[in-house]
Amino acid sequence: MKALTVAGAGIRRLLRDRTALFFMIVLPILIIVVIGTVATGGDRVRVGLADQGSGPLGTRLAADIEHSPALDVRRFHDQTALARAVRRAEVVTGIVIPADLDASLQGGGSARVMLLAEPGNPDQQAARAAIQAVVGDHAALIQAGRFAAGQAGVAFEQGLEAAQASVGRAPVAAVRISTTGGSKVLPKGFGYSAPTMLVLFVFINAVAGASSIIESRQLGIHGRALEAIPPRTIVAGEVLCALATCLIQAGIIVVVGSAAFGVSWGSTVGATALILTWALVGAGAGVLCSSVFRTPEQATAIGPTLGVALGMLGGCMWPLQIVGPGMRAFGHLFPHAWAVDGFIVLTSQHGGLADITRQLAVLGAFAAGLLLLATLQLGRRLTA
Amino acid sequence: MRAALLIATKDLRQRARDRSALVLGFVAPLAIAALMSVAFSGTTHFHARLAVVDNDHSPLGSALVGVLRSPDLAAVASVRQLAEADARSAVTSGAQEAALILPAGFSAAATGPGPVPPIEVIANPDHLISGRLAEAVAQGFVAQLNADRLSVQAAVGAGATAPAAELARRASALQLPETVVDRPSGQHELDAISYFAPAMGMFFLFFAIGFGARGFWTERREGTLDRLAVAPVRPSTILAGKALSIVVYGLASMTVMWLVTSLFFGARWGNPVAVALLIVDVVLAVVALAALVITWARTERQVDSLSSVAVFGLTIIGGNFFFISAAPTVMRRLALVTPNGWALRGFIDLATTSGGPRVVVAPLLAILTFTVVVGALAAAQARRLVVG
Repeated sequence: MKALTVAGAGIRRLLRDRTALFFMIVLPILIIVVIGTVATGGDRVRVGLADQGSGPLGTRLAADIEHSPALDVRRFHDQTALARAVRRAEVVTGIVIPADLDASLQGGGSARVMLLAEPGNPDQQAARAAIQAVVGDHAALIQAGRFAAGQAGVAFEQGLEAAQASVGRAPVAAVRISTTGGSKVLPKGFGYSAPTMLVLFVFINAVAGASSIIESRQLGIHGRALEAIPPRTIVAGEVLCALATCLIQAGIIVVVGSAAFGVSWGSTVGATALILTWALVGAGAGVLCSSVFRTPEQATAIGPTLGVALGMLGGCMWPLQIVGPGMRAFGHLFPHAWAVDGFIVLTSQHGGLADITRQLAVLGAFAAGLLLLATLQLGRRLTA
Repeated sequence: MRAALLIATKDLRQRARDRSALVLGFVAPLAIAALMSVAFSGTTHFHARLAVVDNDHSPLGSALVGVLRSPDLAAVASVRQLAEADARSAVTSGAQEAALILPAGFSAAATGPGPVPPIEVIANPDHLISGRLAEAVAQGFVAQLNADRLSVQAAVGAGATAPAAELARRASALQLPETVVDRPSGQHELDAISYFAPAMGMFFLFFAIGFGARGFWTERREGTLDRLAVAPVRPSTILAGKALSIVVYGLASMTVMWLVTSLFFGARWGNPVAVALLIVDVVLAVVALAALVITWARTERQVDSLSSVAVFGLTIIGGNFFFISAAPTVMRRLALVTPNGWALRGFIDLATTSGGPRVVVAPLLAILTFTVVVGALAAAQARRLVVG
């Protein structure tokens, strides 16, 4: 009961601390919004397009490029602006439709669509293949229009009209695309940013929260409390306070993620178990840090840095699918990677509690180890 | 001047003794940059693992495999020829990212006038770009075939009188009249470490706002400032000393990041004079921000809140945590409200061109404007604080 009083005092102090509330509420939401907005559209290659005003054929080609499902197209007024965007990596490739395209094609010649890119960059090769497919379709229309005009003895425009009318009528060799298998990464957009930021911020705020325990020790609050209550009660109170902080932080992100950004957290039972276990890991790490760090400044400086570094290793900043196998294995030496894996099973693979038992077991072991160390160390500090 | 130097030296000595300042100014940015460098090494490039299935067992099938293994695609995809069942299970498991399946009877149908069975592309949902690449290759493969068929149909539609078989024979000699040609941009590619080294350096540099402001308030609480105020030292000298300590700390932090990431992690920062100018400019902006926090805060708690808001607000909006180039246009514009957003644009331009200081004139001026405005706001109340 007295442990609850100690925990309650800690929580009240936290709720009065505007800086802590900024880190718990404003910052995670802001980052979820920013990363969620940036981490969309990853299925399409970003390209830039400058049509140098060739005429109707060029305009049609530009429209076809814009409608390609593989390309995310941004328009540019001139080649200089396009080249700058390529250099700044705002687009992977710049497409230039030359001013003489219409004249060349109508005059029976051939035309060249220019691609501005770094030739050694294979991202550009993916864009190139997609652009080539669109240009190929456009070229087929021109070829057919010219052929029709020549064979029927009519003007190019009439041949082109016949070609356009024939599109869809001639039996063509089609390409059918489908997907197979379950995803091993989090969904795009907020479905990616909300769970990863939950993992990141529960841990960071727990570790940074060690500063308030250190302050209690420095200000003699623990010393005075020890006159009335045994050390183990204070330790239990501090652990409860850290756990409650982690759960509040997780709750804020879950509620805001669901209500404001429509994030799906998967199976309720599975997500609850995962979040509870993760909160226990955070509480253990936070209380342990309160014994390891000597001053509140150390906790607020080193804690978040440690949290960010572990978040990077664990797939909170970028999907672990993109790093090498060695780095992925190394990341799984730390709890963050297991928590993110758990959310991938719940949200991308629609798994339930039974499907995340391995992740829960590993996280449970981390939590048990950290909490044991944390209670022993804090108990020792209190009685020293 | 001597008094300002003395004050700055004292502040720097205090900061050197404070391990948290050393961690945030030097250890943390280098550790994060090292992590990013390792994580992204060899992963910045797209490379697809494609399977190809030839159920047609024909020269056309061999031609498709030939296209996939052509020098053009070698840099972007590795290709394995598999049986259909193996290819499907490999894509499902993620061992292969996508597969192209040429159906049985494809070439027989392609040479006749009737329908042609479709080429199937299957993709793993985590590798949709690889799927798109496979789709584009397949589309390119059938493009000439389809163009010839369309030509015959169009000629008939336009009133050509020759028999269809003769038209088809004539059309088979045609070549697509549009091609795609590459024009190298002639610039350097922006890699992850060259972006995140200055981005993380600036993020941790911004913590100096909090250090500077908190140090000032601590001295105020402990009475050091009052004692200085009655000494024959002008308020502006005290402020200059404080500012100088932030400048030295900030310059040291950013310079160490610059040197270490250039020498050990392969980061490309570009023209040294321009980099130095940008760093000085950003550090001055940090001094102005620290001054603003000092003058706006009413309590030490407020110092913490305001500096946290400044550090995280500016760095999140400015693009220090994500690759700003990949962000939507509105976010790229919003980033230019912040000095760090402008500095990142400058660092990107320096890393991707061979240009000198002229490349960063606009970022330098924008950051300077920010510094002057913020500094003026702070200066308006500075005297009140020093003299109590």
